[in-house]
Amino acid sequence: MPIIDQGYQHWSGELSGHTWRWLAVTRQGIKITLRNRFLRYVLFAAWVPAVALVTILSAWGLLERKSSMVSTFIQFMRFMNPGVVADPRYYRVDIWRLSYGYFLHFELFFSMILILLVGPSLISQDLRVNALPLYFSRPLRRLDYFVGKLGIIVAFLGMVLIVPAVVAYIFGLLFSLDIRVIPDTLGILLEVVAYGLIITLSAGTLILALSGLSRNSRYVALMWLGLWFVSSVVSSVLEGVYHQQMRYAAYAQTPQIQESPLGSDHNAAKTRHDWVAWQKSQAAYRAAMLHDRQTDWRPLISYTGDLSRIEDHLLGLNDAWRKLAKLEPSITARNRLLAQYTGPQFPWYWSGAVLVFLFGLSLCILNLSIRSLDRLK
Amino acid sequence: MPGSDESILFELSGVTKTYGAITALNDLSLRAKPGAIGLLGPNGSGKTTMIRTLLGLIDTDAGTGRVLGMDVQKHQLDIRRKIGFSPEDECLFPGVAGIEFVAYAGELVGMKNKDAMQRAHEVLDYVGLGEVRYRKVESYSSGMKQRLKLAAAIVHDPKLLILDEPTNGMDPAGREDMLHLAHDLAHHKNMSVLFSSHLLPDVEAVCDYIIVLGAGRLLVQGDIATLKAAHNRCFEVRLKTDTEIFAREITSMGCVVRQQGEMLLVEIPPSGSLAMLWQAAARHQQQIRHLRPQRSTLEEVFLNAMEHV
Repeated sequence: MPIIDQGYQHWSGELSGHTWRWLAVTRQGIKITLRNRFLRYVLFAAWVPAVALVTILSAWGLLERKSSMVSTFIQFMRFMNPGVVADPRYYRVDIWRLSYGYFLHFELFFSMILILLVGPSLISQDLRVNALPLYFSRPLRRLDYFVGKLGIIVAFLGMVLIVPAVVAYIFGLLFSLDIRVIPDTLGILLEVVAYGLIITLSAGTLILALSGLSRNSRYVALMWLGLWFVSSVVSSVLEGVYHQQMRYAAYAQTPQIQESPLGSDHNAAKTRHDWVAWQKSQAAYRAAMLHDRQTDWRPLISYTGDLSRIEDHLLGLNDAWRKLAKLEPSITARNRLLAQYTGPQFPWYWSGAVLVFLFGLSLCILNLSIRSLDRLK
Repeated sequence: MPGSDESILFELSGVTKTYGAITALNDLSLRAKPGAIGLLGPNGSGKTTMIRTLLGLIDTDAGTGRVLGMDVQKHQLDIRRKIGFSPEDECLFPGVAGIEFVAYAGELVGMKNKDAMQRAHEVLDYVGLGEVRYRKVESYSSGMKQRLKLAAAIVHDPKLLILDEPTNGMDPAGREDMLHLAHDLAHHKNMSVLFSSHLLPDVEAVCDYIIVLGAGRLLVQGDIATLKAAHNRCFEVRLKTDTEIFAREITSMGCVVRQQGEMLLVEIPPSGSLAMLWQAAARHQQQIRHLRPQRSTLEEVFLNAMEHV
């Protein structure tokens, strides 16, 4: 017998409790996923809108203080209504809301890309290499496994949705040097964080459910693309057709114009028909469209459209645009601005119901697809 | 905290588990003490279901069970903290090197990062994968994957190690290494081992005790040495010359004789004694070259048990 047996040593360390066991799954998943170089590029690109947000909020802070640093740039801000620039503090909350709205709009796109890169392999790869017995023969519950996998999605989406939003908020505060900014805008930050969590939870459970349906990550990626891209395209096409019908209907009600001036012979139409009548029909179309946005269900078909509707509601983006639209001199100009910038205005809970349904469906799929070891091959 | 009875490794009492029309475990009751235990049985005999029951992975239809003093239905997670399990199938955590695989297995049990990594290095050295620890596990051979699973199962120094068909797909040298490791852990490292296998020589090489299952029921259990104990009235006899006349003679004296190669297997009647054989040999001027009490092989024990299915 050797004097010192180095072959096998007993281990007498402490094992942690079960509460944070899921964290091991998350940590390992992040470590493996970050080895994907393309993913790192996407993460880097996803921070560009965040830099833009930081810049805008900081610049707005300087504008509120009438800082000489921004006086040089005022001339470049002519696209904004002079009324807004003249009284930036009054429009602070609205500008912050809209800035965060645009930021989240871009980040939603990057989030979908990130999920496409991170999500499909999360469970499908474990199914393919038969890793589930390794997990569940250890002190790990199915819930720990799912939460651990969801944690990977949360970490990556948090990096592009929540962390930059918080960083931008801090910069906005620092550059405003006004304590009243906090009560004015803290709610916006909380709404952004809540929206980030909604995206994360909804998209995270959805991709996990899809990932649990197949052993092949490519099929899962295709399913995700279908859900995201195809649903958006179908929704857009339906909306486009519907708007076209509305446009024709608006023109038909104007006796001077019998066909759309926006057809192939756009310029010719304008020269043939009375310009004022055309403008009236345009205004009628916009008014009808604005009115119809309150009941138009077509954006519901798009998954990202549903998320955006929740964003509009949480951040009050349509209200912010309405406030800015009041600066416009005429109803026509006001409607033009609103038609251009406001989104769908159907009840937000329609989208909420769709997201809740998808969430419930995802949980059911996860529950059925990943059973404990007695259901495994 | 559940109490523990050090003298009992695990026990099952009246456990029944059905999958639809199939009864995987049929009123199974058994008890095992710490040590190296072989779990034998043909395909579909309920070995894997029994292992899953011990791990608390399945809900049984009836019966109770305790492992390391803990109830299998109430303390599944606590049980799994103290058990190391190496599954039969090829299972991998994808996209990791060997060292990360084992460290991750440790973290899943609850080890801290640093401890898990340090311990992973130690156990990989122990199972002989120290040289390939930084290679991706997908590139490992079948034998290396089996040893990797063993390393992952013992990373947290479990009290009970369950090996499900650990020599599957291994070449003879790899198989020998695996058996040596299992034997070493069971006999020199104070770790109880439940060794499930179809291969009787493997079980015999590692274990001191066997449990034989058939059709979900317990057929035989006991110390291998006892089960293979010498028979009182059965002897192996080999003669120098022709055995036919000798066999006829002792058969006429009431012995039961079977030919096994050059050897005769002789069962003496209850009223007889060993002297019968010497007298018969002397009468026919035969030389007895080999005479010893017959011992059962593990294969015979197994086959005898299977006759009761």
